[in-house]
Amino acid sequence: MSTRIDPETAAGLEPPAPAGAERNYFKRDLFASIVIIALIAFAMEAWSWVAPVYIMPSVVLTGDEILTILGEDYIHIVTTILRLLFAVAFSLVTGSLIGVIMGIVRPAEPFIKALVVIFTGVPALSWMLFAIFWFRGTEERVFFILAVILIPFYALNVYDGIKALSTDLVEVVETFRPSRWQVFRLLILPHIVPYILMTTKSIIGYAARMTAFAELVSVNTGMGARMGLAQDELNMQGVIGWTILLVIVNLGVQAIVAWAEKRLLKWRPEVSVR
Amino acid sequence: MTAADARAVIELDRVDRYFGAHPAVLDLSFRVMEGEIVALLGRTGAGKSTALHMIMGVLEPTRGTVRVEGLDPYAQFKALRGKLAVSFQNDRLLPWRAAWENVALGLEILGFDRETQRDRAIQWLENVKIVGEENVRKYPHELSGGMRQRVSLARALCVDPELVLLDESFSQLDHVTSKALRTDFTELVRRLGKTCVLITHRIDDALEMADRILVLAAPAKLALEVRVTPALRSDSDWLEAQHAAIAAAMGGEDEGEAA
Repeated sequence: MSTRIDPETAAGLEPPAPAGAERNYFKRDLFASIVIIALIAFAMEAWSWVAPVYIMPSVVLTGDEILTILGEDYIHIVTTILRLLFAVAFSLVTGSLIGVIMGIVRPAEPFIKALVVIFTGVPALSWMLFAIFWFRGTEERVFFILAVILIPFYALNVYDGIKALSTDLVEVVETFRPSRWQVFRLLILPHIVPYILMTTKSIIGYAARMTAFAELVSVNTGMGARMGLAQDELNMQGVIGWTILLVIVNLGVQAIVAWAEKRLLKWRPEVSVR
Repeated sequence: MTAADARAVIELDRVDRYFGAHPAVLDLSFRVMEGEIVALLGRTGAGKSTALHMIMGVLEPTRGTVRVEGLDPYAQFKALRGKLAVSFQNDRLLPWRAAWENVALGLEILGFDRETQRDRAIQWLENVKIVGEENVRKYPHELSGGMRQRVSLARALCVDPELVLLDESFSQLDHVTSKALRTDFTELVRRLGKTCVLITHRIDDALEMADRILVLAAPAKLALEVRVTPALRSDSDWLEAQHAAIAAAMGGEDEGEAA
């Protein structure tokens, strides 16, 4: 493998792909996704011809169920999305702050780092059970489970980001004699934004699944809880319908993160390796 | 300004700096007068950068005193806010800031409003020959090496400092770009009457730009002092003789000097 270096460009890196090429990639990916969705739908439909409805309902039946959910149970979708977004936003701020403190307050670093690493070792299921014992309110339970699982991801990645901060950049900012707040605002914060976005991108799918799982075991509202109810009633089209909606929510949130990444990191060069 | 009127902007008096038992700077004394361009010239490891870091105030001398504008740059770090600026060997531009925002960095730290920052930054970019809305809005990775170094110089000068420190600022550029940038920078600094300390290992750069050359031999001890005037600078015999004398004082030319 060799890295292509273009001497014509300023930084010795390939220029970003032109907008036309990006559109072509999008069309290609969209086409591939449609093909895969069609194949899955066909497989489900074919299976439904030979299996009872509680094993695999037909595509039409599942579609009807989704329409019913969207018409009558949409509040559970909204509840799950709000729980997910609020918990992710809180974890992002809190985890990033912990990461910054770990990165810049030397005496606190080993202690906070040890705590965060230990927390990451606790299984998600244990946190769910702790939440049921410790909190009476359903919202508190879901929020606690998500926050305690997600915060360490942000803390560790932001900490790694601060450790990767170039001493050259620190030195150049310090030549102007800034205050500590200015160093944070002008140097540290913009530097850790890619790490925060990368973490969000990595954990958002996991967080969506954890939200549904937490709802399933600890509360009676939200998409996870409704999936549990559908399972109790042997309503397979309900389980599949909620699953499809969860996937759509997941993809929607990931699209928002990807959009935010594109907007906030437009200063980053696109590098291609061949 | 006559020589008698000039005041010392930098004063180093019998300065030592050790890293563990290793002396990087030993018994170094010199003064840089207001409006002067002084080159600190030496081979790699001669202690030039250590001396510069002490002048910047990011390193404390082990012994002796360093004064910049009459202040101790290390102990009175914040008191020199806005009075000195540095341009480094690599451009060190913040990758998330556009060219004009990089130039405005010092102004933002000094508390200027956004409009003033932008106006002054664009003016300084014009001074270093980066013009056009499209160029000033470019991010560092979209600029050539020479343009990035020009942005770096504009960033240093934009805060209107009393003292400009250049740490091998032209050494990573190709010969043609480096020459053009040195010429532009020297003209600009002389026109503005700024005091400037230039750290370099290239004898030709020092002879071309400086009013005075302080040759350091490792560990940074003053080995030779050369005064340069415009008349002498155009005398090729004198330049040749000085080049040889400086090279001998440095203990030989550094790698890449011949280029």
